[in-house]
Amino acid sequence: MALTGRFVLLLALGVVPLVLLDGTAVTAPVVLAGWVLFALLLGGIDLALAASPRALTVDRVLPTRVRLGETVTSELYLGNTGERRLRGVVRDGWQPSAGAGNNRTAVTLPAGERRLIELTLRPTRRGERTAAHVTVRSMGPLGLWARQATLQAPARIRVLPPFHSRKHLPSRISRLKELDGRTSVLVRGQGTEFDSLREYVRGDDVRSIDWRATARRNDVVVRTWRPERDRRIVIVIDTGRTSAARVADEPRLDTAFEAALLLAALASRAGDRVDVLAWDRRVRARVQGAAGAELLSRMVDGMALIEPELIEMDWTGLPGQIRGITGQHALVVLLTPMDAPGASTGLLSVLGQLTQRHTVLVASVTDPSMAGLTRARADRESVYRAASAERTTLDATRVAAAVRQLGADVVTAPPEQLPPALADRYIALKAAGRL
Amino acid sequence: MTTTAVAIPPRSLTPTIRTVLRRYAFWAVAAGGALLVAVISFLATNAAGSAGPPLAADNPAQAGSMAVVEVLRGQGVTVLPVDTLVEAGEASSAHPNATVFFADPEGYLTTDQLTDVGTLVDRIVVADPDFAALQALAPEVGFGGVSTADTLTAQCAVPAAERAGEISPGGKTLGVAADAAGYTGCFPSDGDVYSVIERTLDDRTLTLVADRAVFANDEIATWGNAALALNLLGADETLIWYLPTLADVPVTGPPSLGALTPGWVTPVLVLLVFTAIAAMVWRGRRFGPLVAENLPVVVRASETMEGRARLYARGNARLRAIDAIRIGAVTRMALAAGLPRSMELDQVIRSVAALSGWPRDRVHAVLVGEVPQSDAALMELSAAIENLEVETIAATRPNGIAPSPSAPPPNGRMDP
Repeated sequence: MALTGRFVLLLALGVVPLVLLDGTAVTAPVVLAGWVLFALLLGGIDLALAASPRALTVDRVLPTRVRLGETVTSELYLGNTGERRLRGVVRDGWQPSAGAGNNRTAVTLPAGERRLIELTLRPTRRGERTAAHVTVRSMGPLGLWARQATLQAPARIRVLPPFHSRKHLPSRISRLKELDGRTSVLVRGQGTEFDSLREYVRGDDVRSIDWRATARRNDVVVRTWRPERDRRIVIVIDTGRTSAARVADEPRLDTAFEAALLLAALASRAGDRVDVLAWDRRVRARVQGAAGAELLSRMVDGMALIEPELIEMDWTGLPGQIRGITGQHALVVLLTPMDAPGASTGLLSVLGQLTQRHTVLVASVTDPSMAGLTRARADRESVYRAASAERTTLDATRVAAAVRQLGADVVTAPPEQLPPALADRYIALKAAGRL
Repeated sequence: MTTTAVAIPPRSLTPTIRTVLRRYAFWAVAAGGALLVAVISFLATNAAGSAGPPLAADNPAQAGSMAVVEVLRGQGVTVLPVDTLVEAGEASSAHPNATVFFADPEGYLTTDQLTDVGTLVDRIVVADPDFAALQALAPEVGFGGVSTADTLTAQCAVPAAERAGEISPGGKTLGVAADAAGYTGCFPSDGDVYSVIERTLDDRTLTLVADRAVFANDEIATWGNAALALNLLGADETLIWYLPTLADVPVTGPPSLGALTPGWVTPVLVLLVFTAIAAMVWRGRRFGPLVAENLPVVVRASETMEGRARLYARGNARLRAIDAIRIGAVTRMALAAGLPRSMELDQVIRSVAALSGWPRDRVHAVLVGEVPQSDAALMELSAAIENLEVETIAATRPNGIAPSPSAPPPNGRMDP
């Protein structure tokens, strides 16, 4: 049961008879009691005439997935199985992060009919967003009192990572094609594979002229090259406690997802096989043996539900996991924070094992605000802050140096630039034939 | 696209009124029973409570006087409780041979009104008179303090006092001058003070009882209090029990706020209270339960950096702080000067001095030697390091322009 503002107004209108009659000490309470009883009686009649909100059927039509930052329309069909016309307000109970905005809709439902209520959802957070129930407030014909019931109507929608870094994909793919020998500019690198022979055109590298083939024919013939294909790439995403920290108002984990998605999209276009592992102490997500569009869709699907865990990353278990994915030489990309020597001992202890078998690339987010802080030294506090920022940067540099010393490669960049930087490093490794 | 089709109305999470009644029936009955017990025990204990106006004829509490009034009624005396002097006057003119019992512990009456009380009837009993009452009714009588005697015996010729014999000891007393005419003091204490003083003058009898405990319910049954009270008050067929109230206070000045407000104000206020309650229900009724969601904790990665800065500042770790700044500056300058990362510090100082044009001793002091002893020295040193860095890096640029501080740092990005 619920009251409306109209009932409050009706009750307040009792002032008029009270003032006009201007009763004595005996009549005034009678007038007062009479008015309150009158209002209560009207409200009671109104309530008795209101349609039952429990007689509603609820159907939902909803896409299962939406990318973060996009909008989706939730369709809610309400059917009235009762015998009275229902007038009232409906609230669709979505979680706050589902971005439902104003989720109260006025409806008029004649008996036996169905109505559609559309609600635009704009989720503000990755993960599974759920709706629990639908609350219906059914007004009486006078609009004084209302019946209210909450109906169970569960729904869920999976909000996928936004993949903002896909804007970098076309430029990186065109750079890949340059490697591939499909464009006129040939980039030749050590370790690339011999592809075919073709006629020399102006601009070709004279070093690539195949003199034996030229001798067999009248024309000058050059060899073309193409980069290696079918290499294995294992992307490991650290979902431990340090990945929850926010850099530039984005959790490190989300930056890692962006970088992993761009790298996977690029590598699968380049013909390499990509496996993804989200790991802290157990496997949070694993994508294996997928390619092309399926790879990306499986990746975002798995990533959508991953939240940073409040536990320390188990680095010692990682080599075993990678061995389980592939026994061959692979490019292992570790997306993990590299902050302080103390926190990175786990990483450093297993890097030696990994670099023996694989090419290892450690990608890490740096805080872009640090550079500005080291320069701002106006007062005592900011000098100490500059010193602390400098120390933090030095610590990260030391860890990076230690990682390089163990034979791994390092990519560090601010959150915006990490995905393209990682993609560029991959292209460079591919061009150098180190995959 | 998925469709969750529900053919029948889904389960309602809001309980119906019947369910609520069934679920809470036990508690409702229990609460009702508890309330009933509370009300009954309140009514039962209130009878013996100490509330209510003192000496009131209908007050059964300890300070009241219902006991003596009921006994008098049982003996055939008509007791007329009155609240105002006007009513007392009407009652006394209707029953000229009545006795008036009068007590004004709150001091409502003025001197004129008290004088009027003295002329109402021939027999007047005044309990616990205050100064104004004594002045108006018996000016010769004064206060005598609290009785210190162990026993109070009549020792006088007043019949009522003689019959009582002894009254409860202690309490207030009154004093009277020895040469005052017509006064008889009873129940004396040390120093010629009396608990009861009677004045007989021209067939008018005025009895002053100093302490009201004689008439109060809690002590009426002790000693000879009952005998004294019944003999004093039961002499005539009618007893006018006059306790002044606020209605006796003469109205002066402009009319009060209550007299000026129209009659509808109070009911309108009550109605507005009802309206406010309705408005609270209107606004406070929740439109369905909240939908819970686990939100992530927002942790900025720079928090450890801020914490370390505060630790430096609190511990005045100036050398540690400036060393961090120095290492960073030296690394950047060495990079700008094209020196390898593993170069000796002396070598770097030499290059920096050559590039910036600063004296080598000065460069050495700024980058290594100087130990800041105060925060001012720390600031100065930090500024010097910054100047040296800017000048050195500017000298390595072909056009001599210093790098802008807002330029993005190198991001480790490698362009093939």
